[in-house]
Amino acid sequence: MTKILVIDDDADFRLAVQMVVEAYGFEMEEATTPDEGISKVLSLKPDLVILDVMMPTDYEGFDVAREVREKHNLIDLPILMLTNVHSVKKVPYRFAPDKDYLPVDVFLDKPIEPEQLVATIQEMLGERREEPEHPL
Amino acid sequence: MKHKKYPIVIVGGSAAGLTAGITARRHYPGKDILLVREEKRVLIPCGIPYVFGTVGSPNKNLIPDAVLEKNDIELLVARATDIDCEKKVLHTTDGDVGYERLIIATGSRPAMPPIPGFDLDGVYTVVKDIAYLSELQQRLETSNDVVIIGGGFIGIEFADEINKAGDKNVTIVEMLPHCLALAYDEEFCVEMEKVLESRGINIRTSSRVAKVAGDGKVEKVVLSGGDEIEADIVIVGIGAVANVDLAQKAGLRIGLTGSVAVDRTMQTSDENIYACGDCAEKISFFGGRPSPLKLASIATLEARIAGANLFGIRRENVGTIGVWSTAVENTALATAGLTEGMAEKRGYDAVAVTVAGPNRHPGSMPGAAMTKVKLVFERNSGVILGGQVLGGPAAGEISNIISACVQNRMTAEDIAMFQTGTHPALTASPIAYHMVNAAEMAIKQMRERGG
Repeated sequence: MTKILVIDDDADFRLAVQMVVEAYGFEMEEATTPDEGISKVLSLKPDLVILDVMMPTDYEGFDVAREVREKHNLIDLPILMLTNVHSVKKVPYRFAPDKDYLPVDVFLDKPIEPEQLVATIQEMLGERREEPEHPL
Repeated sequence: MKHKKYPIVIVGGSAAGLTAGITARRHYPGKDILLVREEKRVLIPCGIPYVFGTVGSPNKNLIPDAVLEKNDIELLVARATDIDCEKKVLHTTDGDVGYERLIIATGSRPAMPPIPGFDLDGVYTVVKDIAYLSELQQRLETSNDVVIIGGGFIGIEFADEINKAGDKNVTIVEMLPHCLALAYDEEFCVEMEKVLESRGINIRTSSRVAKVAGDGKVEKVVLSGGDEIEADIVIVGIGAVANVDLAQKAGLRIGLTGSVAVDRTMQTSDENIYACGDCAEKISFFGGRPSPLKLASIATLEARIAGANLFGIRRENVGTIGVWSTAVENTALATAGLTEGMAEKRGYDAVAVTVAGPNRHPGSMPGAAMTKVKLVFERNSGVILGGQVLGGPAAGEISNIISACVQNRMTAEDIAMFQTGTHPALTASPIAYHMVNAAEMAIKQMRERGG
């Protein structure tokens, strides 16, 4: 079963993602801190990672992405960065995937519609799944 | 405040929004059009680098609102906060607006790579905001050492304009082997680097920034090799990210590139909503894969498609060719379509030919500039894939001609048979007309290869 690891310190968000992805038949694992996230990336070998930025206050998610790619050389692991860093930090610019400084595949802002989340995951994984029997 | 319902509502007042409005007016003369934008005054996006030198102030780099009046487009200065797609209502900070068709043209925001130290005081990026740019301009007046991260168009234009003040050390740091390397083949990049260096600009290519360092405020830029460059201002110019806040909140589909997903008519996932410009997803003319390009000229093309299609399909987007130019002093570089390097990387069997000569005849005529034109063709079909131009101000228009050839999938034979008008004071000689001669040389090469 395709395994998604959510690294995010927001319990409500993790639960919401779990409801969505499990409805589509994905298996979800979770980590609440950067260290736990790195550890689970290595031990659980997920097929895709959903990664927060501020865990809890700064830009820890950026370091997690760089460590996954550079230190552990997981260059093909799909990483979806999903964050509210822009609205919280109120910056006039935007962070975006960058091979060197922000090595994630997709960067999206929270909140995200369930359909958009699933569509993004499927596109990143290169697969198409049937709609769940019951609407989300 | 409650506003009325409009047949056409546009969100965004820069190149795309304005052009969409003008186009909608041309195609639907009887329909009321409302343009909603957040800014009281709108900057000309491509003119921003020139604010710091040639133009002198953000306030002298504005899109005139007279265009709106002339085209009978109503203006509402307010922030669009959400869209009720079902009821077809746009929520704004100044009340609700009903629409029959909505065009989202919310543009882009500058990209900021999270380089360690990016949040220090003195690190700027290219925000399209008058107050932000005015602050940067003020800071630059008292700065000595300016480092620009990114040697693309924005980077070199900023560098040259800031350098014009003459009393600063300006350094461009570029990760690739050359400035402008994403747009031109190496020989063109080298020429522009020579021009920049001759004007006193320091260039550090193949250099990755390890961090921006300082105690609360920028003091230096540290490169990954350990070299340090003193800096009191750092300007990051590495690209832009689509502003999809409104579209995403409304539940419109966002593509993998982070832009609003659209089809070839510029329609979004909602049949009543269109998107164009930097916020909309682009596909390449070559192969149809997503294109990261964001240019005002692309934005206005998309706006001419979106604005025309609101009540029935009239135009379709063939994909982004990528036509752009830049100039430093009297040296201009322009490109359209694929470079030789890009063509080879994409798997084309490319034939590239370069022709150089003056753009007047004889070359002693006033205004003559040595002009180099490189054209790239697909070997088997002879179809033009792109071209680059180095020369005087006319380079920009020559690349536009190249773009027209590319868009119409013209062959080297078609171009060799161009019927051109020439004049000593205006153009290259009819005997040595760059485009025609390059095409002839390419035909020769293709024949030789074919035996």
